[in-house]
Amino acid sequence: MWPDTTKVVLRQGPEVHIRPMVAADAEALHRFFLALPEEDRLFLEDDVTKPAFVQQLLAEQEAGRAFPVVAEASGEIVGYGVLYRPLFGWSTHVGRVRMAVARSFQRQGLGTAILRELVRKAQGLALDKLVAEVVEDQVGALRAFERLGFHREATLGNHVQDLSGKKRDLVLLANDVAHIWEHMEALVADFEPSAG
Amino acid sequence: MRTEIRVGGLGGQGVILCGMIIGKAASIFDGKHATLIQAFGPEARGSAASAQVTVADEPIGYPYVRRPDVLVVMSPDAYTTFVPTLKEGGSLLYESDLVVPDKRLPTGAKVLGVPATRLAEELGRRLVMNIVMVGFFTATTKLISYEAARKAVLDSVPRGTEELNLKAFEAGFAYGQRLVSGEDSRVA
Repeated sequence: MWPDTTKVVLRQGPEVHIRPMVAADAEALHRFFLALPEEDRLFLEDDVTKPAFVQQLLAEQEAGRAFPVVAEASGEIVGYGVLYRPLFGWSTHVGRVRMAVARSFQRQGLGTAILRELVRKAQGLALDKLVAEVVEDQVGALRAFERLGFHREATLGNHVQDLSGKKRDLVLLANDVAHIWEHMEALVADFEPSAG
Repeated sequence: MRTEIRVGGLGGQGVILCGMIIGKAASIFDGKHATLIQAFGPEARGSAASAQVTVADEPIGYPYVRRPDVLVVMSPDAYTTFVPTLKEGGSLLYESDLVVPDKRLPTGAKVLGVPATRLAEELGRRLVMNIVMVGFFTATTKLISYEAARKAVLDSVPRGTEELNLKAFEAGFAYGQRLVSGEDSRVA
């Protein structure tokens, strides 16, 4: 099952605990979102500064459509990630991930650690593919995704507009998370190559 | 005490892995003795496959299974081939969407079915039907402990697949528990 808490020691030393979000996190998560620079919040697409967003997230978690995790350090939320899984339609095998990390905790491997938890969760849900959207110059985020097997699947030109009004490309990243099942397939083959 | 188990099915159903996990649970995690003998055809899928597992409190001198106390079958062909060898009063565990037990069962056989493929598909991957069967085996035969079987599953499946495999194990275990606590099982 999805572990309750994963302990991560970041590059610069702090210890962070990543765990599934619970209702009691609502206030702290709201504080975390408010503290994010506006530029970072734009990448989350939803207006996360509204308390209703966290309530909506909890409702989606309850319904099995969203699997949010929080990263906690010294009692404060310093990172957030969510895996969305559609329960209906032609892409029920595809999950979507989003994440955000507090500025003071960036470039220390926390994004990768959060993402790793989301990939594990996706594999546990038997999803085949994960997708994520990253703005072209979010180098750290791109690196974190690529480190965990995501690859560029498409680029949407001038798709996002930053605070200064500058338009930038949006990169669609995809990860074939079903590949881990190839090992399982080999294990259940009941086949000995040397016997054939 | 010595218990002989045969697992039979088709290549691609994970027959050998199912037998291996049972043996591993018994020997490594429950501290008993166990042996495994596997047999399969040269093709990767669709050919007959079977595993012979012996579990005992004492060292095992003869590892072959002639008259199994427990027969686990995942295909009609495996049922046809192996049911005549099932010991009188032995247990037949079968994939209930694929196998139909009949008059060939020995006297007093305990018959327990589980829709392992369907349960695995409900979890999202048919591939874990053999792990559903391990859970079902654990709950219905009590030859291996729940903890040992769970550890053996975790120890045997590829990294990254643990969560779904554990769900499959739990699904089979819960199904088996419901059967043995209720009166759904049949005695031939």
